[in-house]
Amino acid sequence: MHETLDAMKQSLLDLDMDGALTQARSIVAGAAGVSAQDGVNAVAEALQVVGKRFQDGEWFVGELVYAGEIATSAMQLLCADLAAGTRPRLGTIVVGTVAGDVHDLGKNIFVNFARSAGFDIVDLGVNVAAVQFVDAVKAHQPLAVGLSCLLTITAGEVGKVLDALGAAGLRDRVKVIIGGAALTEQFARDVAADAFAPDAVTGTDIVKSWSAG
Amino acid sequence: MDFRQRFLTALAHEEPDRVPLMGMILDTATTNQVLGKAPTDVIALLRKPLLRPILQGLMNNSWFWNRMYYSTASDILESAARLGFDANWTIYFRMRLEADAGNELGLVFHDVWGRVWELAPDGKGGLTTNYSRGLCSTEEQWEAWVGSRQPLFDRVIADAAVFHRRLVEAYGDRILSIGYAAPGIFENSWQPMGFVEFTRLVYQKPDFVKRVVAFHTDFYLRYLEAILGSGVDVVLGGDDLGQKTGPLMRPELIEKFYGDSYRRVTNLVHRHGKKLLWHSCGNIYPFLDRFVDWGIDGLVTLEPTAGMDLGKVREHVGHKLALVGNLDVSHLLVNGTREEIEDAVKNAVRGAARGGGYVLSAAHSHPHIDATRLRWMVDAAQQWGRYPIRV
Repeated sequence: MHETLDAMKQSLLDLDMDGALTQARSIVAGAAGVSAQDGVNAVAEALQVVGKRFQDGEWFVGELVYAGEIATSAMQLLCADLAAGTRPRLGTIVVGTVAGDVHDLGKNIFVNFARSAGFDIVDLGVNVAAVQFVDAVKAHQPLAVGLSCLLTITAGEVGKVLDALGAAGLRDRVKVIIGGAALTEQFARDVAADAFAPDAVTGTDIVKSWSAG
Repeated sequence: MDFRQRFLTALAHEEPDRVPLMGMILDTATTNQVLGKAPTDVIALLRKPLLRPILQGLMNNSWFWNRMYYSTASDILESAARLGFDANWTIYFRMRLEADAGNELGLVFHDVWGRVWELAPDGKGGLTTNYSRGLCSTEEQWEAWVGSRQPLFDRVIADAAVFHRRLVEAYGDRILSIGYAAPGIFENSWQPMGFVEFTRLVYQKPDFVKRVVAFHTDFYLRYLEAILGSGVDVVLGGDDLGQKTGPLMRPELIEKFYGDSYRRVTNLVHRHGKKLLWHSCGNIYPFLDRFVDWGIDGLVTLEPTAGMDLGKVREHVGHKLALVGNLDVSHLLVNGTREEIEDAVKNAVRGAARGGGYVLSAAHSHPHIDATRLRWMVDAAQQWGRYPIRV
């Protein structure tokens, strides 16, 4: 790999925000002799390593969050330099925290990772009613819907979203992935979701596998 | 043995007559069920234009807030005693109801440390509150927040002392009131900023984070000292250090920023001749040895849906820590069968109770926990938790 791309990737893995952004600016300025697309690819590769470290228990949520922040900042610089439509996209994911729940940390980590991996994200925010998920699926025709839920008392809302998608005739057209402290693999089976994500990195990997399929 | 002897014997890693039982927060929906009280739809009341300013004014009045909070805690201890628990958490907390255009109700709670709490229906006709974000996302905002609130912090400490003393006086002959100094130093550091901002500051402005930790450590020690002076036998501290799959922050970072603070906390409690239990949600396996090193006497919660297994924890820490937990609250104590609950109690007793050092409890608390199922838990403990253990 090119020296500048290596340096940017290493800065991200060293959690060095300034270093990563300095390299990204150098790429955008044309001083590095590589394209912005090369830069985007390098950030995505670095995030793969971050995700692996997290899944292997070497890194923790704090590092995942900060690496995601560095990647997002670098991507903002690099993507501004890319012509619209030139980036290969993996598909769209509609994401939100279910009604009654206002927690967004896990959702936001997922958004950072999935966006950096190449997905277009429609982030509906927190406290999202089932009908809003249905409307977003109709409007954006996503590959997947991601439902986040931290609270045990709002876990029932996950089932409501799946029911609403079914009632609207949309369930066969979209995959549904769920995650959050209140949810489990068993819960995902109970509500007939397509997948349970124990963490944001695994969630991104699962949706990637759907995109490839 | 009475409840006090039973609980303290277990914490001393000796075998009492049976495994003691402890309740967690016990939400109002659960205490209403135990006491036969009807829920109060606070949100509906706050939607009424005439009542809204009156209620807001009342809740923001110290006298009313303290009276309301004591009444809630009193219901908790009454319920816990009636359920047959030997001990229960009691927490003093202080918030103000503030206008917020971004919230559908137009009102949110702000706590004294700078968190925003959203009001929401608890699904049982009452109210619940959930932390949603912080009000101090920059260094300047944090400095301004704490700089202007010193009298309020002092007031909170004084009111907490009165709150805990009254509860001990009212219930001390029926149940142990475990005084919980909450929120903890870690939570008070990051939640008023938000986790993303806090993480950014850890890497970009570590000296500022150290200053924040030092401020909250000093506050926490004063707060804890007030609770220790109120007559409680056991105190509870805590910080949610874990999430579903592991630690929120690298354990070495927690050690670097918080290790000395936690040691000061345990030293203070031990100087008073008391025990310190410690609550943390999430998967906290990587912290087990550190809890011992920090001087904590026992762990509370051990969240099974985050992979915490009582037997495994006991195997790892031996009798260096008492263990309090950990019946599932996602399914078991919400809609589990009597047989499932009995099996879970037997499993918990089998995994952790031999040699003492174990207290049976739910893993946590939320409004949908069913009082009938808590009674089944107590019944099973009466049957299977007798020493010598035979499960």
